[in-house]
Amino acid sequence: MIPVRRIILVLIGALILASGCLDTTPADDYQDWNLTLAGDEEMVLTHPEIRALPAAEGYGYSVSTVGIKHGPNRYRGVPLADLVLAAGGAGEDDLVYVSAEDGYLWVFGMDQVRGEGFFTFDENLKEVAPPPLRVILAYEQDGSPLPFNEGGPLRLVIITESPDVITEGSSWVKWVDRVEVQRR
Amino acid sequence: MNRPAALAVLLLLAVSAGCTDTGPERTTLMVIPAGSLLYPLEDIEAAFESQHPDIDVRIEGHGSIQAIRQVTDLRREVDVVAVADASLIPDMMYRPMPEGDGNYTDWYIAFAENEVVIAYTGKSIGADEITQDNWYRILSRPDVRVGFSNPMLDACGYRALMVTALAEEYCEEPGLFEAIIGGSFDPPLQVDRTDGVAEITLPELMRPAGDKVAIRDGSIYLLSLLDAGGIDYAFEYRSVAEDHGLLWIDLPPEINLGFAEHADDYQKVHVTLGFRRFQSIGSERIGLPIVYAMTIPADAPHPDEARMFVDFVLECFQDGWPKSGTATVADKQIFR
Repeated sequence: MIPVRRIILVLIGALILASGCLDTTPADDYQDWNLTLAGDEEMVLTHPEIRALPAAEGYGYSVSTVGIKHGPNRYRGVPLADLVLAAGGAGEDDLVYVSAEDGYLWVFGMDQVRGEGFFTFDENLKEVAPPPLRVILAYEQDGSPLPFNEGGPLRLVIITESPDVITEGSSWVKWVDRVEVQRR
Repeated sequence: MNRPAALAVLLLLAVSAGCTDTGPERTTLMVIPAGSLLYPLEDIEAAFESQHPDIDVRIEGHGSIQAIRQVTDLRREVDVVAVADASLIPDMMYRPMPEGDGNYTDWYIAFAENEVVIAYTGKSIGADEITQDNWYRILSRPDVRVGFSNPMLDACGYRALMVTALAEEYCEEPGLFEAIIGGSFDPPLQVDRTDGVAEITLPELMRPAGDKVAIRDGSIYLLSLLDAGGIDYAFEYRSVAEDHGLLWIDLPPEINLGFAEHADDYQKVHVTLGFRRFQSIGSERIGLPIVYAMTIPADAPHPDEARMFVDFVLECFQDGWPKSGTATVADKQIFR
């Protein structure tokens, strides 16, 4: 029987090859930052390994619980759905725990991992119907490595094609160091 | 204190200060308050700065727990923290700083109270018939949409659940919690009553099915939904309803979390959150009177100016808030 870890590594390799766009942009400050993926087994990805995965790009614009808007910025990162897949995948009722070095945790349903089930707002913070959204772990903001104060090296960001779509910032976990699939 | 009176007091304070010094260097005072304090602090900030032109007050609102985390977990330089739940300060800040220079703080001062009300507008279904006597029956109707903020993010959110659980017993209406809130979840949210304590355990994802219940990250989004007709009623702090010109129903003191003399009643309801969002605080919330409190972190960069600001805020709130006041906070008592 093929070990699960080998399957996962092959899957990641396939994703990298499929992307056809190896990003070798250095982010020297974050070389020691690792991301733990926990599913059926646990594995650790280095920052360069994460940057080598197929990337998604879009605009991210968040708002805090008291209405402070942040953005819009252009973000680039690895889709959370790909990381969940690399962790062994998840069933529809499973949950994904995204947690950070500072002790913050937010929980996502699988529909949210796919970019569904979020509330979106216009510039006046009036609710609008959500356009297509993607959830990524961003490592790049406006073409530069994501600054630490902005949640770098890895921050969960909800992106869209349009710069004027605002999403709730509570799920924008800063300093992400662990993604864990919780079986239900 | 009502708004015109508050403005008059603030103006008087500013004028009596004889503010004349306009030196080029201004001290930036970082103040992190709970969201429900942002509205009154707008005027207070302006009045304080006119009295102290050498001080630039920067106000950055957060949920109460996040406000404290700016000091503790995130180690930002903060001069004043003001929260909507006084108990959070001893829970989260009476702890040693990692640098070994004592605790984050060893004191807090209670300066205001609040209570939970049912806010609505003239367009809300049932607006022409809702009263203090029948509010829970109106909110129980399947066609009436109810909103509250996410208990994971906002103290007013878990307080909404507490109030509804307390109402079920106080109004002697078995099934009331399920009719207003619990039945909108799959599986339904339930109140487990054991040995006189009502326990509500929340799921990890607070996502109601259907349109009966709406949950949003914070109060301002509920107000927006109320305005747009997306919900009919929202559980809000009385001060918020008042500040935003909404209609509201006052709830009985036995259940509205606003009266210290009913603290024993309030403590009979517990909410366990679906997950531990922060490592720095547990996931159980116990019913308590809503008391606002301030402190100055031990490593505040400008402790003298912070003390002046705290004194100024205390003076502004001394006549009570919301305007008609509720129970009396021990007058400017410093808790250690």
